[in-house]
Amino acid sequence: MTAVPAGLLPVGKRSRRSAGTTVAAGFLGLVVLAAVFAPPLAPYPPDAVDLSSSLVGTGPEHPLGTDASGQDLLSRVLYGARTSLIAPVLLLAFASVLGVALGTLAAWRGGWVDTLVSRATDVMYAFPGLLFVVLIIAVFGAGMTTSVLGLGLAFAPTIAKYTRSVALSERAKPYIDAYRVQGMGGARICVRHLVPNLARSIAGYLVVLFGEALMSLATLSYLGFGAQPPSSDWGLMVQEGQSAIVQGALLPALVPGTAIAAVVVAFNVVGVRAADRLGSRR
Amino acid sequence: MNGNSPQDGAPLLMVEGLRKTFRLPGGGTLTAADQISFTLPEGGSVGIVGESGSGKSTVARMLAGLERPDAGTVTVNGRDRHSARRGTRSRRDRLARAREIQMVFQDPYVSLDPRLTAGQCLRTALRLHGHPAVEDRIRSLLDRVGLGAREAEARPHELSGGQRQRLAIARALAVDPCILVLDEAVAALDVSIQAQILQLLAGIREDTGVALVFVSHDLAVVQHITDETVVMRRGTVVEQGPTDRVLRTPRHAYTRLLLTSVPHQDWDPSEVVRARAEAAEAEAA
Repeated sequence: MTAVPAGLLPVGKRSRRSAGTTVAAGFLGLVVLAAVFAPPLAPYPPDAVDLSSSLVGTGPEHPLGTDASGQDLLSRVLYGARTSLIAPVLLLAFASVLGVALGTLAAWRGGWVDTLVSRATDVMYAFPGLLFVVLIIAVFGAGMTTSVLGLGLAFAPTIAKYTRSVALSERAKPYIDAYRVQGMGGARICVRHLVPNLARSIAGYLVVLFGEALMSLATLSYLGFGAQPPSSDWGLMVQEGQSAIVQGALLPALVPGTAIAAVVVAFNVVGVRAADRLGSRR
Repeated sequence: MNGNSPQDGAPLLMVEGLRKTFRLPGGGTLTAADQISFTLPEGGSVGIVGESGSGKSTVARMLAGLERPDAGTVTVNGRDRHSARRGTRSRRDRLARAREIQMVFQDPYVSLDPRLTAGQCLRTALRLHGHPAVEDRIRSLLDRVGLGAREAEARPHELSGGQRQRLAIARALAVDPCILVLDEAVAALDVSIQAQILQLLAGIREDTGVALVFVSHDLAVVQHITDETVVMRRGTVVEQGPTDRVLRTPRHAYTRLLLTSVPHQDWDPSEVVRARAEAAEAEAA
């Protein structure tokens, strides 16, 4: 029996954990590069239909095979990275503007304003986000813009709740009191000093939410509410590839499905780490 | 100093019958301060001493306008500081009140905005008050508190505790206040740094004529920097008068107790504990 040298175990654990983070971050970097350089990288245009090579398996012509319309899956998945990454960014940007504003207002004003905002976000919270978005889509029609804005509204309460909690503890710090004693108005303190000091921890939280946002958008596209053909959105691709499974071709659903899963997992791995690091200042 | 001229004969700061109660989570109330009255002449210096929980910090916060008193008034140059309803003040009014009283907080580790360098910290205050020649003023303020160009570029986490408290004092002075309230301003610092900061404050008082309200649990600190002393216990004033007199011939048992609690040569902690028990007994009787 060999004794474990004291202190080695935690170090090993730590390096293993950060190795996982490094791999995940590296993978995400590759995905971003793929999205940016999709045109030179993709062997075919994403919407090039070639019915003569429908549902072809992997081969030199089509590294990841083709779908039912003979569209090259590798090309589509590369182009799809664009919508799949940009849409969650827009969604979270919209949700953060709303959520941070509401959360800060609640924390700063306290009293009935806080009660009102908190109860309103609780109600939104209790309502399943996707159901809420489907309702909005029923009113305003399907499409990526509606999905992004609708999901943005659904995500805002989560961000508001988080912002409220971090703003409450930040607001209690004497440097905020010092600004009040200086005669600075509440709005200016919040916008110029309180929120900028929360930016790091909110950013960490947003990275965690990114995977969820991507997933929800893909779900909407899969259900036919989000991206519309001929978009090569991953969620839409899974839906289009679904029927091919019956015909024995797994790749049309598997390729975009794997892309979604891999990116979401990578974001969660990086997100937890980022939240740890950004949440605690220096 | 700003242009407010004191009314003839009236003190610069007049505190009358100040009271503040807080609602406790359990449902009861805590009277943090009750019937607090004292005055401060222009350029004067008053100490508010007492143990933790005596309500002295609450008084400081009421003076600075961070807490609203339930009763009583705080008057500076004949102007009631709490006359307007909260949130209804104009910008002009807020800035004018800021020039009456500024505050230095206990813990310089959290009383400075972590994002701003020392220079930016002062710039924010000076710009807010529409000060002309901001950059010159920043230099002279930093110089006044013994900080140099190197510190001007540093963020709070790059400064030592003493340097941070110097910056906090400079920030308060940037507004050109008539009165500086120091809430345990040296309590978080090493003893040797305490002495430097106290000396700095005494010098600033001499130069600018700013009046000081020095809140502290430390009688030795108060002794060096104040003319008058107010002794607080459980939210009320038990004794007040010239600092020399209060420290040399204390009239109230609690003041005597505080004095015996200060460590010195031949100091016997067990005697303090005994004295405390006696005081508690006498009170119960």
